[in-house]
Amino acid sequence: MIKNPTVEMTDEKHLPQANVPFDQIAKDLVRTTTHGGKTIRRVSIILGVLSIVGIVALIVKLITQRDDSTQWGYVAALVSFLLTVGGGAPMVAIAPVLAKANWVRPITRISAIFSLTGIATLIMTIPLLVVLPPLVVDGTRRRSIWFEGPNFSPHVWDYIGILGLIITGLALFYTAAIPDFAVMRDHTTGWRKRVGRILSRGWIGSNSQWRTLRMRIGMFGTFYFLILIFVHFLFSSDFAMGIVPGWRDAIFPMYHSITSLQGGLAAVIASLWFIRRYFKLEKYIHIDQFWSLSRLLFATTLLWIYFFYSAFIVFWYGRGGADKAWIDLLVRGSKEGIGPMGWVFIFAGIFIFIAPWWWLIWNSVRRSINGPIIAASLILIGIMLDRVRIFVTAWSVPTEHIHDKYLMIIPQTSLPSGLDIMIIIGGICIGLLPILVISRVIPVVSIWEMQQFNLLSKPVKYMKTHGVLVAKPD
Amino acid sequence: MPKQSLLGLFEKADPAADAMDSFNEAGFKLGSFDVLTGTPYPEGAFGEHVPQHRLFRFPAFGAIIGFTLAIFLTAGTQIAYPLVTGGKPILSIFAMLIIMYEMTMLSGVLATVVGIIFESRLPNLDPGVYDKRITEGMIGVVITLDDDSRKKDAEDILKKSGAFEVKYS
Repeated sequence: MIKNPTVEMTDEKHLPQANVPFDQIAKDLVRTTTHGGKTIRRVSIILGVLSIVGIVALIVKLITQRDDSTQWGYVAALVSFLLTVGGGAPMVAIAPVLAKANWVRPITRISAIFSLTGIATLIMTIPLLVVLPPLVVDGTRRRSIWFEGPNFSPHVWDYIGILGLIITGLALFYTAAIPDFAVMRDHTTGWRKRVGRILSRGWIGSNSQWRTLRMRIGMFGTFYFLILIFVHFLFSSDFAMGIVPGWRDAIFPMYHSITSLQGGLAAVIASLWFIRRYFKLEKYIHIDQFWSLSRLLFATTLLWIYFFYSAFIVFWYGRGGADKAWIDLLVRGSKEGIGPMGWVFIFAGIFIFIAPWWWLIWNSVRRSINGPIIAASLILIGIMLDRVRIFVTAWSVPTEHIHDKYLMIIPQTSLPSGLDIMIIIGGICIGLLPILVISRVIPVVSIWEMQQFNLLSKPVKYMKTHGVLVAKPD
Repeated sequence: MPKQSLLGLFEKADPAADAMDSFNEAGFKLGSFDVLTGTPYPEGAFGEHVPQHRLFRFPAFGAIIGFTLAIFLTAGTQIAYPLVTGGKPILSIFAMLIIMYEMTMLSGVLATVVGIIFESRLPNLDPGVYDKRITEGMIGVVITLDDDSRKKDAEDILKKSGAFEVKYS
């Protein structure tokens, strides 16, 4: 029997998002800041304790292992992971916002909130800068993007770059949050009202305030994108490529950036799924958001293999000493057979590409709420494994060999110590803690964006199916 | 005589737009009346006066300053310590590009932050007459008068247009 396509289109997945009255949006979303107070307080305390443990472990490591850079691979992997996921997440909303997509409005706040993970990135980068070898070691200058630059150029400029990224991310988050701080000022009591009054800075919603807000979001969004790609270029060049002799790869910085977009999307999908369930926001976070995000996630998953393969084929086909050393170090993890990092690479490939690709290829998975979260979780694990593979192997090269022509001896795989595990767990907790804290101060879904969503879109019946009429006036 | 503000509250957007039109037709000064909303309506939806702004100048000037400083820094150090590397000229643009890009971006961002402080008129220390129902979806039309002479006219316009409440500062 041939199915009537118009009948199929009226199933639940295609029903338009219902319009919610403005005052109801404000009430529902303001309520999320007090929802689950005790549980969130308990989780915050646990995250806080683990964060302190992580910082203490970092200090202990800095005191005891400062002179041995080969022991710092896991910290570098952690910083790269935080930069990849936390740095990429705000970007998820920027491009659709600039393109005036309506579906993105419920996710703009949660993606911008990830810029707060930059605090963890900044803290964790400091000891890494202390142990990063200078450009000149034993009177010999290593190959780097800094040519004849001063000895500590990567240390200074990389940190300024990361700082710039975080300032821009926080400015983007705060700028877009001002109208909601005004809602908190108007509709809450106690300390939330006081915080709202201070941070809304006299916002009344006048025409000129809205105009400048739109421009600010556009400007900071553009700046964020430009700085994000640049910081990935700096970090991947100086903290990975620059310390492995003979590793010359024009694609690697782009590979690092593209996984950031993939990781950012995965983090946003995971957090969106969580807040939808936990804060009961089914009215505001609809299947449309998951559907759109999972399509982007699928695209970036395919880009991962494209960028990896484009880099790999050059080394594989080149077969020079430096090329072989690159494959032995970063792919096989050993000169003979498959080493421990070779297995990490295989699992990273499965988690980042093979499993999510196979999962997201199905329309019914992408068009669901619970489907994309599985792919997102796999990708987040895969990115962590991939960062371990890259940065732990890169940092395992002893300082005295970093200005060789290429790597003659593949160093022993460095396994994580107790301190490394504490730092990794603590670092991720430092990243998560501000997100949890800010969810008590301001709604995780933007009130004014949701109100605008309703203002500009209208569910309509179109012939025998349903649709959403979206106005795009400016 | 201090300035006085009147705020008319509307449940719907159309009557608020009518009030804006009426103020314009009645000869009230452009810029003295404005619309307050809890969410951004499309520009010009209320027929409101669109003021000039200079926000785009700030990132542009910031970027130019950063770029210029970066050229001075990179060119200055290379001229001060001339080291020929790999047969490349002393002033090699590719070696300078990273610092030039970074300083341009950072100074552009910082100038934008400064620009926002000026152009957004935030903090707004004297927000005037306001009602918290605006953040619940009500539309406010606010007019600021230099004296009492046209207060009655303004109030009439707001009421005739459909304001369900008029507030005074």
